[in-house]
Amino acid sequence: MILIGELSLWVALLMAAWGTTAGFAGAYTQRTELIASARRALFAMCAFVVLASIGLWTALLTSDFSFRFVASYTSANLPSVYKFTAFWAGQEGSLLFWALILSIYATIAVYTGRKTNRELMPWVVPTLSAIALFFILVLCFGANPYARLDWIPPDGRGLNPQLQNPGMAAHPPNLYLGYIATAIPFAFAVAALITRRLDAEWLSSVRRWVLLSWFFNTVSIVLGMWWAYVELGWGGYWAWDPVENASFLPWLINTAFLHSIMVQEKRGMLRKWNVTLVVSAFLLSIFGTFITRSGVISSVHAFSQSAVGYWFLGFLIIAIAATAYLVSTRLSDLRARAELESMVSREATFLFNNLLLCGIAFSILWGTLFPILSEAVRGTKITVGPPFFNQVNIPLGLGLLALTGIGPLIAWRRASVRNLRRQFTGPVVCGVLVGVALLAFGMRAYYSVMSYALGGFVLATILQEFQKGASARHRMYGESYPMALFRLVARNRRRYGGYIVHIGVVVLFAAFAGLAFKKEFDVTLRAGQQFSAVDGFGDHWTFVSQGVSDYDELNRHTTAVLLEARRNGKFVGMIKSEKRQYIDSQGNPTFEPATEVGILDKPHEDVYTVLAGVIGEDTAEMRITFNPLVWWVWYGGMIMALGGLIVMWPQAERRRAQAGYMAPLAPGLVDAGAEAAT
Amino acid sequence: MPTRRRFLATLGAGVATASLARMLPAQQAMQGMNTGTANVPMDEARYRPVRLPSRGTGPSMNQAQRDALEHKIHCQCGCNLDVFTCRTTDFSCQVSPPMHHDVMALVEGGYSGQEIIDAFVNVYGERVLMEPEKRGFNLAGWFMPFVALGGGTALVIALLRRWRHPAPAAEPDSVAQLPVSATTDELKRLDQLVRRDDE
Repeated sequence: MILIGELSLWVALLMAAWGTTAGFAGAYTQRTELIASARRALFAMCAFVVLASIGLWTALLTSDFSFRFVASYTSANLPSVYKFTAFWAGQEGSLLFWALILSIYATIAVYTGRKTNRELMPWVVPTLSAIALFFILVLCFGANPYARLDWIPPDGRGLNPQLQNPGMAAHPPNLYLGYIATAIPFAFAVAALITRRLDAEWLSSVRRWVLLSWFFNTVSIVLGMWWAYVELGWGGYWAWDPVENASFLPWLINTAFLHSIMVQEKRGMLRKWNVTLVVSAFLLSIFGTFITRSGVISSVHAFSQSAVGYWFLGFLIIAIAATAYLVSTRLSDLRARAELESMVSREATFLFNNLLLCGIAFSILWGTLFPILSEAVRGTKITVGPPFFNQVNIPLGLGLLALTGIGPLIAWRRASVRNLRRQFTGPVVCGVLVGVALLAFGMRAYYSVMSYALGGFVLATILQEFQKGASARHRMYGESYPMALFRLVARNRRRYGGYIVHIGVVVLFAAFAGLAFKKEFDVTLRAGQQFSAVDGFGDHWTFVSQGVSDYDELNRHTTAVLLEARRNGKFVGMIKSEKRQYIDSQGNPTFEPATEVGILDKPHEDVYTVLAGVIGEDTAEMRITFNPLVWWVWYGGMIMALGGLIVMWPQAERRRAQAGYMAPLAPGLVDAGAEAAT
Repeated sequence: MPTRRRFLATLGAGVATASLARMLPAQQAMQGMNTGTANVPMDEARYRPVRLPSRGTGPSMNQAQRDALEHKIHCQCGCNLDVFTCRTTDFSCQVSPPMHHDVMALVEGGYSGQEIIDAFVNVYGERVLMEPEKRGFNLAGWFMPFVALGGGTALVIALLRRWRHPAPAAEPDSVAQLPVSATTDELKRLDQLVRRDDE
């Protein structure tokens, strides 16, 4: 199987090359046999990439250390689940994983769109084949997962301990599923630009793919945050690391697109802008991959540096140049046809929403690349860390939160003063009350107060929308309120799923605002010694060390410290934090020691402990952190993902017909129809 | 004659080539380094002592203030963390503990937070700060996002105003660009006939 896999990679390369060449030639000359051949080549390429992937998985699971990749990222005593996930732990395997998902996505897109997008598909197929060709070329000539060692080592190096975590098993696949889904809209955009068929039709084909990308990107970002929080041990979930930033950029652009596409659908405006967003999301995904693999910027998430970065840089430059040429030569076809009736309209609000989303994306990109620019211009190395990103992005984020509430309340085309008063009075009063109450209770972290006040406002707008919709159904159809609410969401998934996403955003902002009340302490405790502290809520905590213990587990040697935690004198639990030294099957240490943090999690606050070091036999050096509202980051993320699923869930044609109004047919017509049928 | 589009394309290509050229040595330098737990280049030799004579006035700040100060100083082990977070997270780090000891010694020596920051910058350069100082070229880093946002806002407002007050409808492009296979005389005669019909 491994040999078949190895050979399949080369056959996939040939298929991708033929799909690209025949596809572009066929689309250009309108020769149907070439177009059909390119389509079949794409399907075949997918099959061979799947075989190549199965081959690598087989090598990993059977610990075939003759392969450099297997020996580099696994060991004989590694649990099987992590042997499986080691597929994407290293450069070569993760690139094969890219190619695997891309070819599966491409096959689905081409197969499902073969009847609906007849004009675009001849160009979509070679564009997707060209992207796949690039990845398979890199795999064959730059980072081959099937490269062999000159000798077979008795055991492998093992998997980085920080990757031996459920979060890291799930985060990369979701990230890739999100990143790579941007390739499909990109291919449709290229096809639409080439054929100059830039009406709303091509957008409807790509919207679902953008949503898919957005959904997986959301899940992956939240999983990545969770992994960073429980595994890396620095006490937070987002460090504005270059690679984190790179994963956030396509998400921001996709979010902007999902709003601006509504303006094009409803009013025929923003055509240039929407094409630009679709193209930018893909290019930023490639940029993210380039950042992770090039070594241009150091990051805790980066793969070991290799020449693969140059391949991505070259691809990025070619893709930017090609799309810039296409967009600039099609500007006349992208001219907007609609006019704006009022500055106070939903389309105007969505423009500002896009401005802020893209503004945040730009500031993150700028901050990430500024150290390179500074070194190029001044020759001085600088660090652009979290303080920069927080200072720049918090005001922009709050503006975006405000628009999250304002947008849905303003009517399309033109909002009257009466309409504005009716829609805004309740939510504004709610937001002001939250802000005043927090100030009255002594909260002086002004960004947090603003965040909670705006959160109250946005939540009130959403609840108002749900209440109005459910009441209308209750009056019209006599449904009970829970049923009316359920059917309201089920029959308007796009709109109310979007509102559920907005609820998730509010929850996330509330959790982020809680960071202002984070408290951390650097403590040294002997066995039996205690440490007391007051958290951000004014609760008095006491931690008593139960001592340091050493023991061996599955594939590691563990040093642990146990703390007894009491809040206001009442026992609330034991917290264990560890340092793990992983070992191979021969008992030799692999990698540096890894941190396993101790977390006592409650909805309002986490107590987070890190064993930083051990002095003598029973004295632990520790960091104890009170992290307010972290729990809500995970649940906010889940609510957003749930909202995304509701929006994405296909609306059955049959059900849609039933949801509408039905006019009874005249009996004669029915009879005539029946006769004709017989 | 060069058009604006060609000029922009040439400029873009030039910037891309220059960036590529600058990146090459950086990448080659990284390849030779050892990597630590998370593939972060670890270099224990990056520590450099930051020492100043004691003023004998006693500690200049309490522990909480000192911890806050360490949050502003970037650990030089190759991670992206500040000194406080790195030393309390990664007990294999050989750089953050001595940097912490230098901070403690300077605090004990009576130096203020800014003086300690300045001492670290003198030894390590600006990269030792978690955020760029707000002066000189760094101001471009700090203000560019807001400049871009301001520019974007102005653009959005200008677009909204243009769309709100659209210019008088021009002749449709499709009509103006229709290929006409007629001589100038024939077109003149056609024009006269149309005018006569209108009258």
